Amino acid sequence: MTLAPRAFLTGLAVLAAALALYPIVGTGYGVRAMLQLFMWIALAGSWNLISGLTGYVSFGHVAFFGAGAYAGAILIAKAGWPWLPAALAGGAAACVLALVIGYPCLRLKGPYFAIAMLGLNEVLRALTSYFEGLTGGGSGLSLPTLHATVPIYYAMALAAAGVTLLTYLIITSRFGLRLMTIREDEVAAEAMGIDTARHKLYAFLLSAAGPGVVGALAARDQGYIEPISVFPLATTITMIVMALFGGKGTVWGPVLGAIVLFVSQEIVWARFPYVHQLLFGAIIAAVVLLMPRGVLGLLQTKYRLPRTL
Amino acid sequence: MNVVVTPTMVGQVVISGILAGALYAMVALGLALIFGVMRVINIAHGPLLMLGAYTTYFLYAGLGLNPYLSVPVSMAVLFVIGAVLQRTLVFRVVDAPELSSLLLTFGISIALVNLAQLAFTSDLRAVEYLTGSWGLGPFAFSKTRVLAFVFAAGVTTLAFLLLQRTRLGRAIRATSQSREVAMVCGVNVGRIHTITFGLASALAAAGGALIAVVVAVQPEMGQVWTFKSFLVIVLGGAGNYPGALLGGVLLGLVEQIASLFLTSQLSEVVAYVLLVVVLLVRPTGLLGGRQT
Amino acid sequence: MAAPVLEVDALSKHFGGVAAVAGVSLRLEPGRIYGLIGPNGSGKTTLFNCITGLERRDAGRVLFNGRRIDGLKPFEVARLGIGRTFQIIRVFPELSALENLLVVTDGPLAAARTRALELLRFVNLEGLKDEYAGNLSYGQQKLVEFVRVLMRDPTLVLLDEPAAGVNRTLLNDLLDAVRRLRDEGKTILLVEHDMKVVMGLCETVFVLDHGEKIAEGPPGLIQADERVIEAYFGR
Repeated sequence: MTLAPRAFLTGLAVLAAALALYPIVGTGYGVRAMLQLFMWIALAGSWNLISGLTGYVSFGHVAFFGAGAYAGAILIAKAGWPWLPAALAGGAAACVLALVIGYPCLRLKGPYFAIAMLGLNEVLRALTSYFEGLTGGGSGLSLPTLHATVPIYYAMALAAAGVTLLTYLIITSRFGLRLMTIREDEVAAEAMGIDTARHKLYAFLLSAAGPGVVGALAARDQGYIEPISVFPLATTITMIVMALFGGKGTVWGPVLGAIVLFVSQEIVWARFPYVHQLLFGAIIAAVVLLMPRGVLGLLQTKYRLPRTL
Repeated sequence: MNVVVTPTMVGQVVISGILAGALYAMVALGLALIFGVMRVINIAHGPLLMLGAYTTYFLYAGLGLNPYLSVPVSMAVLFVIGAVLQRTLVFRVVDAPELSSLLLTFGISIALVNLAQLAFTSDLRAVEYLTGSWGLGPFAFSKTRVLAFVFAAGVTTLAFLLLQRTRLGRAIRATSQSREVAMVCGVNVGRIHTITFGLASALAAAGGALIAVVVAVQPEMGQVWTFKSFLVIVLGGAGNYPGALLGGVLLGLVEQIASLFLTSQLSEVVAYVLLVVVLLVRPTGLLGGRQT
Repeated sequence: MAAPVLEVDALSKHFGGVAAVAGVSLRLEPGRIYGLIGPNGSGKTTLFNCITGLERRDAGRVLFNGRRIDGLKPFEVARLGIGRTFQIIRVFPELSALENLLVVTDGPLAAARTRALELLRFVNLEGLKDEYAGNLSYGQQKLVEFVRVLMRDPTLVLLDEPAAGVNRTLLNDLLDAVRRLRDEGKTILLVEHDMKVVMGLCETVFVLDHGEKIAEGPPGLIQADERVIEAYFGR
């Protein structure tokens, strides 16, 4: 951050102001698109917190999105909560789920954890279908009609900014460095006196909160949810691809990845929806084989830039 | 829930569990081989099984080939596909951190599913070859499941004979014990990796061919098999090949017993809880395996 | 006799049917340098792992300053004041040299920073503090690992083959550093294959063979011990 941090911060402030004013001038389509971009930034950034920093790959992060969506939707539809507290409750519900799942699963070594997370998603989908009384089962859950796209736009923007700020704070702290030691060499970290189990659990809880909040917001925005729509493997894939492409373990990598991939998705791939997953698969393979650190990670090591870039 | 469990039901469940278990064991042996030899968890294992199922479907629908005769053909086709995947992509991450191999095979997995959707559409396909059941005293077993058991047991036996009795099998086992030692003993490790990946894909393909007669063939049928195969090798102990047999039968039994008390929707939940519990209580598997 | 810093009492560890460590007892007094030698596979690293909690012992006790530590988690053992290095270097490659030291401390960051810079200066690595540890040379990484152990100011330091792969100049610096630690009152236990290092540095040497302690004493006597010669060279 030695290189003109003031210019950087000024740029960020201008960008924030422009985004704050955008709903006044933007089209309905534009506002909705930006809302989704914010959602992806929050999701990719959250995945990065656990997987990018500790190296524990979560193949089921959409589970927290879905848990937040269901918690929020149930509170809105059945308990009559306003959407904003319901969204926060969605985040809390995702954290509770992360605690229940993380306490046993984070003791598992890397690949075991990855598969356990892959299974978690299927399990949650089965459970939400099963408990029909609460969730509406396979026929889904409808929320009362509400036109709140602009307020939800701001809420999503805050969620994206919140996740990014959180990442910055973590990466610049000793807590963040300790999370990285788990990725680098977990045994050595333990032997140096780092309580790796506790650190992993904290990172996991933090990484669940964002998806929980944006899940509830997305549920409110769409007005209707069902198990298939909130637990798709495709959502996990998308956040992983975004974070990997931009650069895992960095502050701005997931943001960059989300912007680049979301924009190309809207402009280019919308015309070829059938090859979407194929392209994502190819991007994952290409990044892993050719650019394992992602775009920013590559620049960072090449030009010796700090991780906060 | 009021369930009255009769001895007949128990017998039916136990035998059904063993029938299903042989299939699980065969498919999981493939995943176990790749993990044992290369320390790679192949997330694309299930999608490879899906390609095997499609091979059988098209041979049946196009050429009218008996699905059971197509088992070796599906295996051969997938052996080639698996070997090509290894030669072109996977070999690059064998020595990389596990994060890389997990992500790479994950990418291959979603690409394969999407390719199948493009090439074959998402329509459900059925191989309607055999229906009905065979009765045995008070029990009744669907013919397709009995045949799946017979073929799976046969293929698994052949795979074990290959591993135990042949030069190639010894080289594979040596490589999974210690790559350095295998290299020193003149084993071409790269070639063994390719063959292992092909063999593992062929085992998945056999599974695909056998369940094509039982369930609908569609592009997303495979993913759950990656998870189940993984569960089997965890139950049996990673890197412990005979353990996969025990793990397969155990998973078959647990699923069938769970189906007595729970709706089928929740049987995956049971399998999941089983996975987590086993990993926590016996991280090296029930039979014990090697540490990663 | 001073109260022991570390007492290992009839410690055993099996892998499958093989006894890696079989009933080994050690007693380390404060302010001394101890050596642990033995042929390959004699159980030295396993013993280290059992003391530091990386492996669970099957039988026996480990006491650190009179307190049972067997059964504790590795990070708890480290926090009590036992630091260790590894046979194969285990720095955190994508953390800078300075960050490698900072992560292991708990107190205020400013104080940790001062201490970390002091330690890096102590091993002449201050100029490379911002370099990724993975980009340093083998010897430099070894030094980083060594001073990383000192960040927690441990009372007992376990060194697993500190001399392996280190050039002469660096080695002498390292050995001087070890002696200085001893003079500060710390206890050092080192596994080493280089006999010159062991003989020149250690005051007491333990010899392991097939998981059993076969000899213990000053280096001079150990060298002449028949069982030791037999263990190394065969009958």
